[in-house]
Amino acid sequence: MSTSASPWRPRLPLPIRPGSADPRPTGATTAQASAAPGLPVEVAADVAVAPRTAARRRRGNRPRRSPVEWLLVHAAFALALLFFLSPFVWLLTAAFNARADYVLQWPSPWTLDNFRTVFTELDFSRYLRNSLIVSLSTMVLTTITVALAGYSLSRLDIRRKAWITYSILLLQTMPLSATMVPIYGLARELGLRNNYLGLILIHTAIELPFLVWMMKNFFDAVPRYLEEAAWIDGRSKFRAWFEILLPMARPGLAVAAGLSFLSAWSEVLMVLVLVDDPDLITVPFAFYRAARGSGSYQQVDYGIIAALGILYVIPVLIMFFATRRLMVRGLMNSTRGL
Amino acid sequence: MAVIEFERLSRRFDGQDVPAVNDLSLTVADGELLVVLGPSGCGKSTLLRILAGLEEADAGDIRLDGRSIIDLEPRDRDIALVFQQYALYPHLSARDNILYPLKVRNVAQAERQTRLGRAATMLNLDRLLARKPAQLSGGEQQRVALGRAIVREPKAFLMDEPLSNLDAKLRTHMRTEIKALVQDLGTTTFFVTHDQSEAMTLADRIAVMSAGTIQQVGTPDEVYQHPANRFVAEFIGSPPMNLLRARADGDHLVVADGWRIPAPPGGRQRPSLDASSGSGLTLGLRPEAIRLSQTAEPGALAAEVFLTEPLGSEVIVNIRLGDEIVKVRTAPEVRPAPHDTVWLTALPGGVRLFDRVTGQALAG
Repeated sequence: MSTSASPWRPRLPLPIRPGSADPRPTGATTAQASAAPGLPVEVAADVAVAPRTAARRRRGNRPRRSPVEWLLVHAAFALALLFFLSPFVWLLTAAFNARADYVLQWPSPWTLDNFRTVFTELDFSRYLRNSLIVSLSTMVLTTITVALAGYSLSRLDIRRKAWITYSILLLQTMPLSATMVPIYGLARELGLRNNYLGLILIHTAIELPFLVWMMKNFFDAVPRYLEEAAWIDGRSKFRAWFEILLPMARPGLAVAAGLSFLSAWSEVLMVLVLVDDPDLITVPFAFYRAARGSGSYQQVDYGIIAALGILYVIPVLIMFFATRRLMVRGLMNSTRGL
Repeated sequence: MAVIEFERLSRRFDGQDVPAVNDLSLTVADGELLVVLGPSGCGKSTLLRILAGLEEADAGDIRLDGRSIIDLEPRDRDIALVFQQYALYPHLSARDNILYPLKVRNVAQAERQTRLGRAATMLNLDRLLARKPAQLSGGEQQRVALGRAIVREPKAFLMDEPLSNLDAKLRTHMRTEIKALVQDLGTTTFFVTHDQSEAMTLADRIAVMSAGTIQQVGTPDEVYQHPANRFVAEFIGSPPMNLLRARADGDHLVVADGWRIPAPPGGRQRPSLDASSGSGLTLGLRPEAIRLSQTAEPGALAAEVFLTEPLGSEVIVNIRLGDEIVKVRTAPEVRPAPHDTVWLTALPGGVRLFDRVTGQALAG
């Protein structure tokens, strides 16, 4: 049987550790493989050799697919791809089109006018600065907090610890919109409306429950004897945590940093609640205002929205690629290398 | 170099009826290698962790060179600990692992390198220093862990079953290395293990521990030849000491099956022998303290062989004596078949007596 019998199989095998049982059910193999294009190459590369033989063996047990079947499967995938990619194609084409509409149009000519407008008339650099200040501060505050809180829940002798731990998880299930009114009142009383601090605090609070829980699990996975060894070697508990445990939990910190940044970056509801000052609004809120245009949805400038969209996505991509390796390790909750 | 003294130390964990360490007193002499030996759950690891400062004591005191250290943080005790799992810092190279305690203590750069060099030579680590722990074998990791302990030049080494994660062959090898190392350095060492052959080979003295208390402290020979009670007699030795119900009859001891054995000589045990004869005695005989003959001998007891276990350098013959089985160690060429009749003689120097009720040794 030649490899052309199933040519839609991706070249890179999914990350299966040599020797481990193949987790892919045979029937769902192709669908899962194709649906995971974002899978990082380096994960797969170091195990590229062993699964190949396993794959061949599995292929041998399967009946041949007919050409019709081959065609249908391909068509289905192509359709799905088109469906999910088209918004991004629209974003790219509309951003560079001076007369963009809500339908897909090839720009003629390609122009940077929309971007120019975004920076000159919409004062985008201010929104960008606001967003960056709020998101990066949220990221730093969240990461420091979860590193400490996760450790406490994992290691310290706290009364009613299980009770506390589960309450934190319970908080995560609260819908944000339900707390909108009290948060507004609280922020007004404390003078946290219309300033960065209010946004940073609330965005941090939104992200904390899940990430604290996650960090606790990361610290749980680090054996106690490592920090005990550091204590005996002469470190205080704090320095042992900082020098020995934190480096071990780095993937977890990366996930905490990445997720808290992304969440603060895209959060709009709390900005709406806490900010009236037009000088303080963040990028997603600027979106909302741009889409509303001059009060009616009839005269929306799609080109400007698309340009905003692209500018909005760039920091996210930078963030993703900067922390990608650690994030993947962290999200797989892997403690490899311990 | 240091003397370690435990004084009436106790520790009970929440939700447990029996204390892990129970009113325990023990002294480790300067430069001595003391092995605490006991079955799992006897409290030996708790004892070590209290000494290291990783666990708190409910009562009692620990003194290091006469100074109480019970309230000190682990880092202030000047004690190095080698963990069962080595506990190397995974993100640091072998070199940085070894240097870590020196870095923490702000030892001068030149001094750090001298000590590192000395430890690396001693432990044959020179070629491994650049590697991360994950790139080292178990034995190599163990050597790095030892290196990290010795560069500190601490007052005492604590070792918590440091060999039990190694395979059998490596374990024997590292046992020798550790013994040589500790002898070289002359540092007081507190070594915890459940492995009696480790204890016998390594120890200057063995402290046998059970149920949170020390059962006996003595040289390996003392502990083996003169167990203080039935627990030690049964725990040490492979196969363990034969323990048989006996009663005193004048100058002789009579084992259940009618085997008459001369009571051990000496005046000291006689009154206790008489005092205990009412409650009954337990007679202890090491498997090598019984002579087995395949021909009839005067005064010997005829008995039936139950099973023969050849071990290469020796043979353990199991003999049925009433409803008990007695194990006898013999030369490798002695191979009686099951149901053969053999003749047993107890060697005079090997007879031990225990009170059947208290289990305490009576004679010898």
